[in-house]
Amino acid sequence: MRSTPPWITRTGFTLAAMAAAYRVGLAAALAAWPVLLGRAIFYGVCLMVLIAFWDKVGAQRLAGTLAVRLPPGGLGVYVGVTEWITLSVPAIQLRLEDDIRSGALEPHLLRPKPYLTQTIAGEAGGMSARLAMLAVAGLLLLTISGRPWPAGFGLAYVTVLGVIGATIGVLLYTLVGLTAFWLRRVLPALLIMQKLMFLLGGLFAPISFYPGWLHDIAAASPFAAHLAFAGQAVIAPSWAAFAGALGAQALWFCALCLAIALIWRAGLAKLMREG
Amino acid sequence: MPPAITVKDLRKAYRFSKRGRGLTGALAGLLHPEIIELQAVGGVSFEIAAGERVAIIGPNGAGKSTTLKMLSGVLEPTSGGAQVLGYTPWRQRKSLAYEIGVVFGQRSQLWTDLPVRDSFALLRRVYDQTADIFAKRRDDLVERFGVGGLMDQPVGRLSLGQRMRCEIVAALLHGPRLLFLDEPTIGLDVTAKAAIRDFIREQSLAEGLTVVLTSHDTRDIELVCERVIVINSGRIVLDQPTDQLRRRFIARKLVTLQSQAARLELDLPGVTRRPSEPHTTVLDVDTRQTRIEAVIGAALALGGIEDVTVEDPPMEEVIHEIYAALDH
Repeated sequence: MRSTPPWITRTGFTLAAMAAAYRVGLAAALAAWPVLLGRAIFYGVCLMVLIAFWDKVGAQRLAGTLAVRLPPGGLGVYVGVTEWITLSVPAIQLRLEDDIRSGALEPHLLRPKPYLTQTIAGEAGGMSARLAMLAVAGLLLLTISGRPWPAGFGLAYVTVLGVIGATIGVLLYTLVGLTAFWLRRVLPALLIMQKLMFLLGGLFAPISFYPGWLHDIAAASPFAAHLAFAGQAVIAPSWAAFAGALGAQALWFCALCLAIALIWRAGLAKLMREG
Repeated sequence: MPPAITVKDLRKAYRFSKRGRGLTGALAGLLHPEIIELQAVGGVSFEIAAGERVAIIGPNGAGKSTTLKMLSGVLEPTSGGAQVLGYTPWRQRKSLAYEIGVVFGQRSQLWTDLPVRDSFALLRRVYDQTADIFAKRRDDLVERFGVGGLMDQPVGRLSLGQRMRCEIVAALLHGPRLLFLDEPTIGLDVTAKAAIRDFIREQSLAEGLTVVLTSHDTRDIELVCERVIVINSGRIVLDQPTDQLRRRFIARKLVTLQSQAARLELDLPGVTRRPSEPHTTVLDVDTRQTRIEAVIGAALALGGIEDVTVEDPPMEEVIHEIYAALDH
């Protein structure tokens, strides 16, 4: 009988440990249900303000402005989707900064499972709870306000692209957190990341509204894979756009994982050299 | 049996750029950085046998934590070598991690928001333990350390003493052969300290566990360890059995008396007075010449005693005495 290769056994153990960390993160987020509820209320308030603003802009239909390009029904659902992702992504960069700066990372390095994958898995667990809670809140708000739910496959597209987009967000903020190995504080990198996310991610407005050159830059960035693709899926849902967005997300997922692995190794080497 | 730890001429130097004063200094530092090298560990060599309990002590900045970090694999030495349970720690950190347990007195390794039981369950996955072996070991340790009543409480709600007991159980759950303890009793009350020391010693004796401990508390060293390595300025200045060290250097106690009288006069052999505030008398007692109960008895006989405290002298003083003795 052929025995299982050691690398498969090792990978299995690593995935089992990540799954355990994921469950812990999920359980911790659910146990802190008042925080989840508060976040859902905040999400609702944000949506009401932003939707009111975009409704007002849309009602004007001013020639030569963005308003003429607004889809029927305004940007309510688009804003809802991008905020759904933004408010679900954990502040993993703060945890990494704290652990790296305080030296709390060292005890974790004395364990056989990689600190970073365990941390990301745990934070992803918490994010899952928030994604589910805010999705319910968003759909409830749509129903109460009398707005239609995304049509056809739109909801399925948004769900898939949104969950993967949120995962890409975790990876982006992980990159920010890892700068603590060199910068000690992640705030400078975080500010840059947030501004890019605001503009290129389509938090400011759908990137399809942008001038051609800026749209192309935004669409090719990981920020669009994080936010804009899921939002676009409610404005103009189509199988082709969904498949293209999914492919781009897969590419960015792999590229970011590779970047994180390389930066983590470099940071760890620095830590082991300099203490 | 091969030694658990072999260290040969281990050295660690930190390099950093010196920053000049003010704006000019900062600019000059950018253009012509002046690199300073700080020798944290300057060539230490020793062996620790399997099952031995050894304290590594020294004043702050002596190099003991740096040594421990290198031995546990989270810091690369500048030169020299070490074998820990057959592994080179900084090159085989993950393999070594299965074989060692680590407790940091000032840092929790458990998950603050999780109940103790869930923290332990997560550690099972981290150390790839099978459910049945893990459950048996956990139950044994939980019973031995008396933490059964704490299992369903979140770690963040435990007292420091309770948390430390859970930390030690957590460090032993995967059946390590070597336990590193960095200040395991720091901040604990007298009862909790005694319990932790008993647990560590008993566990070591029961399972042949090798223990390497750093502490500023001389009682940790006396009651847990059978051998002491004293490090200062990155070098080993003393390596001898605890009994010998106790006879030579840890025989002193500090007795503090609060009294109604502004000043107490006690004339006993081996007892000297330290400078103190009025109504407080601090006595430095050499217990080889006069026992503590004799000192307290003599003080009570004077009358008007309101409070008595007996403490070990600070580690810095013990180390200072060691240096003074070595100089002679």
